[in-house]
Amino acid sequence: MIQVFDGAMGTMLQAAGLKPGDCPELLNIEKPEIVEKVHAAYISSGADIIETNTFGGNCLKLDHYGLGSRAKEINQAAVKAAKAAAKGTQVKIAGSMGPTGRFIAPLGDLDFDEAYDAFFEQAQALAEAGADYLLIETSIDIQEMRAALLASKAAARIPVICQMSYSEDGRTVTGTDPQTAAITLEALGADIIGANCSLGPEQLIPIVETLAANCSCPISVQPNAGMPHLIDGKTVFPMSAKDMGLWAEKLVAAGATFIGGCCGTTPAHIAALKNALKDIVLPQRKARRPILALTSRSKTVFIDKDLPTRLIGERVNPTGRKKLAEEIRNNSFLSVKKEAIEQVHAGADILDINMGVAGIDQTVAMKKAITDIAQLVDVPLAIDTSDAAALEAGLKAYPGRALINSVSAEPDRLEYFLPLAKKYGAAILCLPISADGVPATAVERKNLIEKIVDEAQQFGLKSGDFLLDGLVMTAAADAKAGTETLETLRLYREHFGYPSTMGLSNISFGLPNRPLINSTFFSMCLAAGLDAPIMNPYDDSMQNSLLASAALLGKDPNARAYSMNTINQSAPKAAATAKIIDMDILTAIKTTVINGETDSVASLVETALKEGHSSEEITEKALTAAMNDIGVDFGQGRVFLPQVLLSAETMRAAFLKIKEILPMQNTQNKGTVVIATVKGDVHDLGKNIVAALLENNGFKLVDLGKDVDTETIVRSAIENQADIVGLCALMTTTMVQIDKVIDALKEAGCPAKVIVGGAVLTQEYADQAGADAYAHDGVIAVNIAKKLLD
Amino acid sequence: MPIYNAPLKKVDHAETRRYAGLNKAKFDEEIIESACRDVQILAQPKGIWNLYDYDASNALVHADPPFLIEGKKIQKHLAASTKVVLLAATIGEAVEEEITACFKGGKYSYSLLLDAAATTAVEQAADELEKTIRQKIEPMGYDMVWRFSPGYGDWDIRFQPEMIRLSQANQIGISLTESMMLLPRKSITAIIGLVAKQEIFACEHKSVEKHDCQICEKTDCLARKS
Repeated sequence: MIQVFDGAMGTMLQAAGLKPGDCPELLNIEKPEIVEKVHAAYISSGADIIETNTFGGNCLKLDHYGLGSRAKEINQAAVKAAKAAAKGTQVKIAGSMGPTGRFIAPLGDLDFDEAYDAFFEQAQALAEAGADYLLIETSIDIQEMRAALLASKAAARIPVICQMSYSEDGRTVTGTDPQTAAITLEALGADIIGANCSLGPEQLIPIVETLAANCSCPISVQPNAGMPHLIDGKTVFPMSAKDMGLWAEKLVAAGATFIGGCCGTTPAHIAALKNALKDIVLPQRKARRPILALTSRSKTVFIDKDLPTRLIGERVNPTGRKKLAEEIRNNSFLSVKKEAIEQVHAGADILDINMGVAGIDQTVAMKKAITDIAQLVDVPLAIDTSDAAALEAGLKAYPGRALINSVSAEPDRLEYFLPLAKKYGAAILCLPISADGVPATAVERKNLIEKIVDEAQQFGLKSGDFLLDGLVMTAAADAKAGTETLETLRLYREHFGYPSTMGLSNISFGLPNRPLINSTFFSMCLAAGLDAPIMNPYDDSMQNSLLASAALLGKDPNARAYSMNTINQSAPKAAATAKIIDMDILTAIKTTVINGETDSVASLVETALKEGHSSEEITEKALTAAMNDIGVDFGQGRVFLPQVLLSAETMRAAFLKIKEILPMQNTQNKGTVVIATVKGDVHDLGKNIVAALLENNGFKLVDLGKDVDTETIVRSAIENQADIVGLCALMTTTMVQIDKVIDALKEAGCPAKVIVGGAVLTQEYADQAGADAYAHDGVIAVNIAKKLLD
Repeated sequence: MPIYNAPLKKVDHAETRRYAGLNKAKFDEEIIESACRDVQILAQPKGIWNLYDYDASNALVHADPPFLIEGKKIQKHLAASTKVVLLAATIGEAVEEEITACFKGGKYSYSLLLDAAATTAVEQAADELEKTIRQKIEPMGYDMVWRFSPGYGDWDIRFQPEMIRLSQANQIGISLTESMMLLPRKSITAIIGLVAKQEIFACEHKSVEKHDCQICEKTDCLARKS
């Protein structure tokens, strides 16, 4: 049966006298008769469900009007007005809960708990006053929807409708697609899932279809009356009631059974919808085989035997990794973030997150890790902990459907972890370990899984929530380790049909050539029914094994992926080095500098010195010659700045090697340069580049840094007997300092030549300021410096 | 108006190349990728914006006190706008500290790439912020022209204090030096003109993905788009 919602409230209130800038929800208390009239109009048009005038009725929104403390009173008055209008009819009341208007951290500055509390207060007030549904609507952020849904389920016993608002690109503003939303919200306990606002009925049809295909809940949709135009400064929604009615059938065909209207709709629109839906035949909703799905804010990953194998990256785990543990202890999460990004780059489909470090507050660490990583990658996460508080913190902070790693048959885990899984809609990794220890045989493992699944089902978990761990023992200690695990996988497939996982590397503990054992065992397990291994994604032998197995097990049609990856891997990099070996040593060094191969130059320099070449010869014939070539190429646009800099780095490595071997040797000194970015200017990358190039071309550098005042520059130029003073300024506001410094240098009688540069400078400006030269870039600066001192 | 700290899921490779002055040159792509990833890890993206009425005939933003837009190019750019958005975005100081440390350690080229990736990242943070702005202004019937910052064309940087005031950039940790430079350095302020949707097609500078270098006088800029 189709239920028809009402239409827009805001525009109706404005028509009835609500002034721009006034609080719409306050009317529930001050002029309830206006609100009742709007409700009555929609009821006469055929609405089955009316929505209370409480869209902005959470305390955070009401605070804008100084009404935050009256939230409960306002919401209850709204339900009262709706009930008055609905008296004597069968019309139901939905308590409308709109967004807070702010983003929840880390996307914004609103604390999750603060949002939760505001929604709890509102939901409780609406339910107590007699609402039949709670309608969380127009939500643009899945994390805010999670806060509102969790709060609503805790505050009330009535059904909760969750409607998100999708943009034209098919995602919410913070990036959630309808498939991901449907899966996340159904797991979290939404009773009805839908979409409203932002789009007209035509654009919402594919969204309704996707929602219906990805959950079993009834679907609701409340489109705008088309896409808005501004006419004479007023916003107008162009779709007529008649046209809206024409879309009703298509929306039902797409899967919606709750239909209403949002911005721009009127009682006439609702009447048109009601009329069109009068004798409509409901389509059959396709039955779905429950498949395990994990979600992030913006992505869904399905795990199933008929889908490609999913890699769970294991590297965000400080166990046995002193450096990582130390960093986490010091609250530096840089390595944690780096591991997350790089594992995804290496092919991880899901990331396991473990913050088990002794001596820290694991709850705080887990919350931070989950929050930070969810901002950087879009793969789903597994929360790996034995601490219930840390688990809850992670689940709350995670804007999606996580995997809990893990739930064993130990009483503690069952008692504390299962309720959390249900509450936060998480999937669980079932670990067949009990208080009695680790079972050695496949049958015992299967029985323990049965126990865990049964217990989980008592808490309301069901098919599609489970990932089973096959358990891996050490082959070196137990001859049957391999076969028992393979049999376990087979039993899981046969008995449960749920997907399975395992951490493989245990199999090879204590044996030589562990990668060989691991990757061989991996292939066997994939054939026996392993769907989502927990592994190191950087491990080439495992990745190769996965590629080959996919081709062998029919998961890679025509072995296409396998072939393409194999070709890429054997691409030869050796060709370049071969050429260098054939050259004489000085040419080899020169080529190495030109190519910017910093790692290889040191040994070549050592060889040259051993062969009897002097450091001056090496400097002149190999290094300087190389920089000259690079300079010419740069000037002609054949190479670019990063390449020039790589060559400079190689030069520097060469000089350092020479200095190391001949420490007493006087280093070449073409002249002394004092360089600075002028006062008030804090940009220094350009200046640093010029300094580096000059230094590596034989000049002695005194770098005064940035934001340097005139007196300091002059003093340093005199004290260091500078041959050249280099001045950099980036902005129109600081280039005037250049004139000041040049004047001060002249006044002090300093004989140094002045070269100026910086994005804002020009030859003309340099000339009028009295500079000796203007350098457009670092390479030109080196040439000018050389010429000036010749 | 809300603070929005855009997640940085990827720092654009091509834009990083452009800001590094590489354009079509051959360069080890893995090193560029690595710089993009390091910036992704170190960046602390933040964004904020405010909406004001705009009187195009007088080039006046109706703030309290009002803000006069001075500069022919920017005035032309906003000629059809009836409202404006003033925004600010930053990726924080941690990246700058790493760039400086990197250069001191002799990794000149990598510092340059990090710097280019950081510039890309702050522009991306602003792009993402614009998405949330669009979500608010589209239901009102508006479209946006591309964002314009002090320093573009003939719009002088001496208006930065006003940009900070109107966008409330100080709330996300952005301040100004005496010489009108933003701190942290990888920060931007900008103005976006709002035009009634149906009039956007008549508008010269309608919202495109990336803005146009043609408006700028620095023809020898490393990063100029041809």
